Formats: sequence, structure tokens, C-alpha cells
Amino acid sequence: MLQGRNIVEGWRSLLVHGLLALLFLILIGRYYYLMIVFHEKYAEKATANHIRAVPVLASRGVIYDRAGNLIVDNAPSYTISVIPIEVKDKPESLERLSSVMEISVEEINRRIVKNRRGSFAPAKVFSRVPFEKISHLQEHRLELIGVTYSIEPIRNYVSDLDLSHALGYTREINRDDLNRFKKDSDYQPGDQVGWKGLEKFYESELHGQRGFRYIEVNALGQEIGEVQDRAPINPIPGHDLILSIDSYIQFAVEKALADSSGSVVILNHKTGEILAYASRPGYDLEMLSGRISSKDWNALMQDPRKPLYDRGIQGLYPAGSTIKPLAALYSLGNHSNAKERTYLCRGSYRLGNRSFGCWKKVGHGKMNLHDAIQQSCNVYFFNLIQDIGLEDWALIAREFGFGARADIDIPGENKGLVPDTKYMNRKYGQNKWTRGNLLNIVVGQGDVLVTPLQLAQFAGMLAQRGTQFQPHFVNKVVSKNGDVIVENISQSNNKVTASKDSWDFVHLAMWDVVNGKKGTARAARQKDWDIYGKTGTAQNPHGEDHAWFIGFSLDERYPYSWAVLLENGGGGGGKAAPLIGKVLRSIAKRPS
Amino acid sequence: MNIRSYVIIRLKELEWSTLILVLLLSTSGLLAIYSIEVQHESTSEYFFRQSIWTVVGIGLFLAAYFIPRKVIHNLTYPAYGAGILLLLIPIMTKSGNEVSRWITFGSIGIQPSEFMKIFLLLALAKYFADHKRKLSNIKELMTPVAMALGPTILVLAQPDLGTALVYFGILIVIIFWAGIKPLHFFLLLAPIVSMLAAFQTLSFFIWMGLIIVVLYFNHLPFWTKILNFSINVGLGGITNLLWALLKPYQQQRILSMIDSDSDPLGAGYQVSQSLTAFGSGGPFGKGLGEGTQTHLKFLPEQHTDFIMTVIGEEFGFVGVMVVITLFYLLIARLITQAYNSKFRFDSVILIGIASIYIFHVFVNLGMIVGIMPVTGIPLPFISYGGSFMVTSMILAGLSANMSSLRRAVG
Repeated sequence: MLQGRNIVEGWRSLLVHGLLALLFLILIGRYYYLMIVFHEKYAEKATANHIRAVPVLASRGVIYDRAGNLIVDNAPSYTISVIPIEVKDKPESLERLSSVMEISVEEINRRIVKNRRGSFAPAKVFSRVPFEKISHLQEHRLELIGVTYSIEPIRNYVSDLDLSHALGYTREINRDDLNRFKKDSDYQPGDQVGWKGLEKFYESELHGQRGFRYIEVNALGQEIGEVQDRAPINPIPGHDLILSIDSYIQFAVEKALADSSGSVVILNHKTGEILAYASRPGYDLEMLSGRISSKDWNALMQDPRKPLYDRGIQGLYPAGSTIKPLAALYSLGNHSNAKERTYLCRGSYRLGNRSFGCWKKVGHGKMNLHDAIQQSCNVYFFNLIQDIGLEDWALIAREFGFGARADIDIPGENKGLVPDTKYMNRKYGQNKWTRGNLLNIVVGQGDVLVTPLQLAQFAGMLAQRGTQFQPHFVNKVVSKNGDVIVENISQSNNKVTASKDSWDFVHLAMWDVVNGKKGTARAARQKDWDIYGKTGTAQNPHGEDHAWFIGFSLDERYPYSWAVLLENGGGGGGKAAPLIGKVLRSIAKRPS
Repeated sequence: MNIRSYVIIRLKELEWSTLILVLLLSTSGLLAIYSIEVQHESTSEYFFRQSIWTVVGIGLFLAAYFIPRKVIHNLTYPAYGAGILLLLIPIMTKSGNEVSRWITFGSIGIQPSEFMKIFLLLALAKYFADHKRKLSNIKELMTPVAMALGPTILVLAQPDLGTALVYFGILIVIIFWAGIKPLHFFLLLAPIVSMLAAFQTLSFFIWMGLIIVVLYFNHLPFWTKILNFSINVGLGGITNLLWALLKPYQQQRILSMIDSDSDPLGAGYQVSQSLTAFGSGGPFGKGLGEGTQTHLKFLPEQHTDFIMTVIGEEFGFVGVMVVITLFYLLIARLITQAYNSKFRFDSVILIGIASIYIFHVFVNLGMIVGIMPVTGIPLPFISYGGSFMVTSMILAGLSANMSSLRRAVG
């Protein structure tokens, strides 16, 4: 064994010592940098790493009628979700689920992709699952790894009223809306969102704001438990809607309408509140909310009666004679002899080599303006329009709100059409249209297209002598603790000016329509209650004509105006006036 | 001399500071493992086992201390041979592509590659001591390089890149310590640097320039210079070929050191989670058992290679500094003792032990904070694992044995 001094030169020892010191200094520097300099950055990262925010759905606002009766609230519903990462290697799970739910594995996979929020987050695949299916799944739990179910609130339609078109429905948010809402809110795939009607228009009020529970998770995404030192954020429930709908009147309307196709709009002309709104046929809200099978959807789409079509605001019909008061008001304001001038009705009017008929084939005989309104004589108005320019007529029509949206608080309104010179030139060619077209317009046929809502608004403005109140469905938006968030109080707009005398004249004529011996709407007459109205026929090239009846009551207790459209309801007052007659009788009999 | 008086003399000679440092380090390891157990509410299997291994390790520390040096000296080559045989067993019994680092006896698995570190170290020490090698001639390096190459190739076959690097590291430090000329040392290490430098064109040319300068200013036969330079250029050239021979996970580990976020769920994932654990620990840590990152399974291998993250997260920068200081004291003492030693055998063993500790501590503490590749190198005395705990303890016992100044026995 070698022995002696100076086995190793001093510099070698120093070098190794130096190397050791250098390496340890590098380590210390690195740890200092990590743990002292960048401590805060990593502390935040650590928190985000192990805490998962689990959303807690906010309950959607409920909907009341004007008296505070519940129309729509929420009920619990079972939802089945799948955790993508857990079923990835377990096709058996999906096959089992597929057989229980009777839906193909491909469809389930499609829904997983659609509602995916990450590998560890449950993706919704079925909503509104019946309890039997849930208990079935519960029995086969062990064969259904990665399949979970949860309870979430869905819309529950409490009242028997069929307000389907007004209320609208909620459906699962789609990708487009998700991107659109992304900036200012917290929507996630699988969320319900207002799709039609009030649910859509008031989505931001009804939706509320989701809350969060904080769950500690490990790197595998498995939940360990509730985080102790971080308080959950409670969801903020959506605001409630208090509608202007009067359930009593609505019910009377629905009863009177029975199975007819058509629309009834009744509003309070002093406030713009919609009291009753019907569009028939309607649809089953329960079926349309949440997930609807493609079979059911196709059946709805292909139904010849078009149940998805909201006739009240979307249905475009010729106004028929209901629009005659327009020309009358114009004449009263511009022709000094308006009340006195008479025309002879022989049942038809000749223009060039064409003949334009009156509804009364034998003719009305000698007519003045009052009688022409009361008996709805076309020939009188054919003559009258010869003294009115199309532009003047169109102007007053627009003042009454035709050809424009009423901006009611449900989406999808149609503008309708008020033909003017520009329009006629565009449609028929410069100077290619004749005064014959004008004859059609003045009696509300041909190119004049209106919605039931517009005619109800028109009736209301006649009642209010030209003053309009913005029609609306929602009176108040109220938070859960009772604060009024929004109150819809319509401002009056003086849109149409005419002399008191002119208004009195039109009112009297419309009173006679209902109450006069020769009135066309005698079926709407009420005992001890003055009803004013005007009937109309919307010519229908595809079948029997549609029946119109518009009107109003000036009674202080019942400041109501309305428009009724009955598809294929026949000419004149036909079935429309009696329908309102029934409704008004119910209102008169209303227990206080 | 009877055994009783021998033991008494040896106990008097024992430098207690080494044992105390070792005990403090093992205790901090046990504390970290305990913390993991507490959080997982699992059966305290790891803690229990590691406690047993620590006790066994202390026993072996004492055994390594009490065994007369002469016995060690005589058993060196047979032990080296036995170690090689043990390394062959897992390779022979290897099934499929599984990593075969273990020989199992019932429920206990041992890693022969850990013990091989001791045997290689002893064999190298004996070679340099017995043959009075001054390493004045580069040919004298053949035998020690061959000694190291054997086990290195065997562990590479397992494959265990980390341990192979440890063997190689031991060799390099011992050669340096044994007196190799600086020029020879440079020429010996140059090919390795050439291979590393070849990954980047600019660094490769700078390095080649440096080699030319060194060769130019030294007196070597012309053809030796040309040969040397050619070897370096050639090795640099085939580096990319060799790189392709590495297993993908080995490549990935080296790459992930460069960018720990590039592979978030592989090796880089471990490092990025480890950084978060350390960083969130801050100056004073979150307290024992309060770490969130290490306990929620964000960190794989938390009780073995990444054990320090538990200490870092729960005891903060202060805790890490305490551990680093303990290691520094332990290793610096070894170097000083190696320098002071009057025996070549002892001195080489002491510096060899120091090199093993340095390598393990720096690579482990470096890889968990992203400055070294993830190579599966455990932290001495602290990481969970019986074989390595026992190896570290035996090495510490040997160092105590070699550093004691007695002359009477031996």
C-alpha cells in the first residue's frame, strides 16, 4: 500500500473544492430565484393547479301574469353526462348507455364532442331523462364507468294557458351563440338559453349568473373534496318577469278560439299592455324545451297548419276593410264635404274595362261616409280614393304604425307592407301600375300587408284618437328580492293628428258597425257596454278568405283594443266578430 | 487484540460528525415521506419501509466502518467481479422490453447497479494504490477505463442512463485525483465535449478552435495531434447518429430540460409541476403536511426522485437551504479528508465517495428545478428506496473508516 505525503497536489484539491462550491452556488441561486423571486407567480399557479371551479347553475327567472299568478317556473330534471377521459378506453360503458337510452353510440359520441368542456369535465348527453331510466342506470352503475347524472332545473309550464308563441322556449346553447355571448358572460356548452319569444328577448334578465363551488382535485382530475378556505360563489338567480297578460282574458280568448287557426291580440290602449295574445295552432312547450327528437321536430316543421309560425307578429295578411277608417280620416281632414259626399253603390265599380266588385253584389245604394264605414261599402271607397293620392294614403298608414315593427318585446316581428309610389314602381315598373291597384289598396287588399299586432295597435290608436302606446308583454322585471329592475311604462306618442270632429265621426261609424241595424259586426254587441269595431276580409287566393275584426272599448273599466284574425274564417264579420263577442261577455261577467 | 478492545478503539476514533450529518439527512427524508403518508391517509408503507432501510443502513454504516481496511482491500476485486455478475442477472432474466433494474427476493427488490457504485469505486482505488500509478503515460488509463466501461455498458443495457453517468463520473474524478496530467485530462474529456458541442454549429466551431489552440501550444508528436483532432471532429460528426440511438424517452428527458413546458405530461410535466411546488413554497413553506402540489398527485415519483419538492413546498427556501448546507458540509469534509489522507487507497476512495455524492446531489437537485435532465438519479439519504439508502450509508461508513487517522490496524 502506497504511503507518504503529497499524494495529491494542492491545486487538485482546491479545484475539486471550487467545483463543489460552484455547483452548490448554482443550485442555491436557482432555488432563490424560484422560491423567493418568483414565489408569487408560482403560488398563483399552484392554486389554479389543484382547485377546480365547479359551476352551480343559477335558477332561471320565473314568469308571472299581471296579477302575479305563476305561468312558468322551474322543475328539477335529470341530466346524464359522460366524462370523456373515463369512457375513452371503455367502449362498453357507452354501449350500455346506448342500449338503455335507445340511442346509437355514434349519436352519443356526437353529443360528447358537441358539449365537451375538457377531458375531465362531464359532457351532457341527455336531458329530461325520465326517472325510470335513471333508476335503470343506477342498477347498472358498475358497467357504466364515466357516466354520471345530475339534477338540473328545467322549465315547468304551470298554467294551462297556451302562450307558446309569446313565451317561447329555451334550448341548449349552440356554438354560435356561445361565441357571441362569450365576451360578457359565463355561458357554457350545455347551458339552456332563450330561443324564442320572451325567453329569448329577456334572456339576459332571466338567465342569472352561475356560481361556483371550489373542489380540490388531483392531477388525474379526481375530486378530493370541497376547498375549505375558499368560499363558494353563490349563483345569482335570474330576474322574474311580470307580464301584462291577463290570465282571465287570455283564457276567455283561448276558449273562444278553440281549434281555429288564427290570432287574437288584445291590448290596453291606454298603456300598451298586451292583455291576451294567441296564435293558433300553438305548440307543446314541454316538447320544444331542451332536447327535441328530430322526428318530433320534423313533424312540427312539416305540419301544414304551421304551428311554429307566430301569426300574431309574423303573420302577414291583407288588412281588408279594417283599414278603411284610414281613408275616411284622410277625407275628413282634407275634403271639406267629406261627411256629405255620397256615392252610389251598384255592387261594382268600373275602371276602364275592368270591374271592381263590392262585397254586396246587389249594391248598397246611395252611400255617405258614415254608412260606407258601417256597412263596409267598397264602391264608396273606390270612388273616394280617386281624390286621395297614394303618397298621402301611405303617409297616414305609416303614422298608424303600418309597414313598421311595433318593437314589441318578443323577437321575430314582421314589418308588413305599406305600398307607396316608390314601391309600386319597383314592383310593377315605372308607370306600369294603374289606379286599379290603388282601388285594391284602399280596401286593404293586394299589396297592403299587416300583422294582427299592427291592427290591434291601429284599433288602439283609433280609440286613443291618434295617440299610440308602445305595445309590450312585460310590465316589470323583478329581482328575487323584489327590487324592480325594469318597469315598462309606455310613453304616449301623438302620431296621428285629426280634429275632434273627425275622430267623433269615425268613432260613431265604428259604433254603428257593431250596434247599428245594418252594422257588419252586430255579433260583437254587448249589453250596457259600447263596443266599437270594424270587420274585414283578407282575400286568400289559396282557399277561403280570412276574417278580420278589429275594435275597441272606450269604457273606463275596459280600455281595450283588439284585432282578431281567423284563417279561412269567411268574409266580413264572419266568425271573428262573434268570437270577440264571446270574449267580451266573459270579461263583463268577470268576478271582481 | 480481541474484538471488544478493537470496537472500543474504533468507537473512540469515529468521527461522529459524519454520522450526525447522515442521520440529519435521513431524518429529513423520513419527514418528507411521512408528510406524503399523512396526506394520502394511506397505509404508512413507504414510511415504514424507509424507516427499516434507514435502520439497516445505519447498521451497514457501522459495519463498513468497523471492517478492517485490509479486509476491504483484499475483497475489492472479488467484490467487483460479484457486482458484475449481479448486474448480469436482471439482463439475463429480462422479459420483453421491461426495464430490468431489479433482482427480487420475495417482496424485497434490490438494485445491483447501486451496489456496483461501491465495488467500482473500490476496484479503481485498489488499482491506483497497488500499481503506484502516476498516470504519466496515457496508456496507463486503459485498465481503469475498462473497469468502468464494463458496468457502464451493463447498466446502459437496462437501460439506465443516469447510473451509467454516475459510473463514468466516478472514473473521471478519480483519474483527475490520481494525478493525470492536465493535458491528458483535457484530451480525455475533449471527445465528450465535442459530442455535446456538436448539437450547435457555432459552439462546435468554437470548441474545435480551442482544441487546435491547446494542441498547438503543447509538445506532442505531430501525428498524435492530427489523430486527436480527427477523433474530436469525427465524434462531433456522428453525434446526431448516436442521438438517434438513444431511446425516445431518453431524448425527451434531455430535451425537456431545455424547455420544461414542451411536453407537459411527460418528463417536462414533472419538472413544470415541481417548479410550481417549489415556487409556491416560498421562503418558509406551507408547513408539514400542508403542501398541495406534491400531495395531490400533480407530481409523479414524489417520494423517490422528486422528494425534495415536498421539503421545498412545505419547508420553503429555508428548508431547502438546510438540506443543501448539510450536503455541503458532508461533501466538503470528504474532499478535505481525501486531501489530508496519507494513504493512496483511502484518498481515492474518499474522493470517489465525494464524487458520487456530488453527482447525485447536483443532478437530483438540478433536475427537479429544471437545470439538469430528468435522469432518475435519487437524492442520497433522502429519496425513498432501499438499495440506494443502503449504498449511501455504506459509502458514508467507508468514508468514516478511511478518514480515521489510526495506524495501528491496517
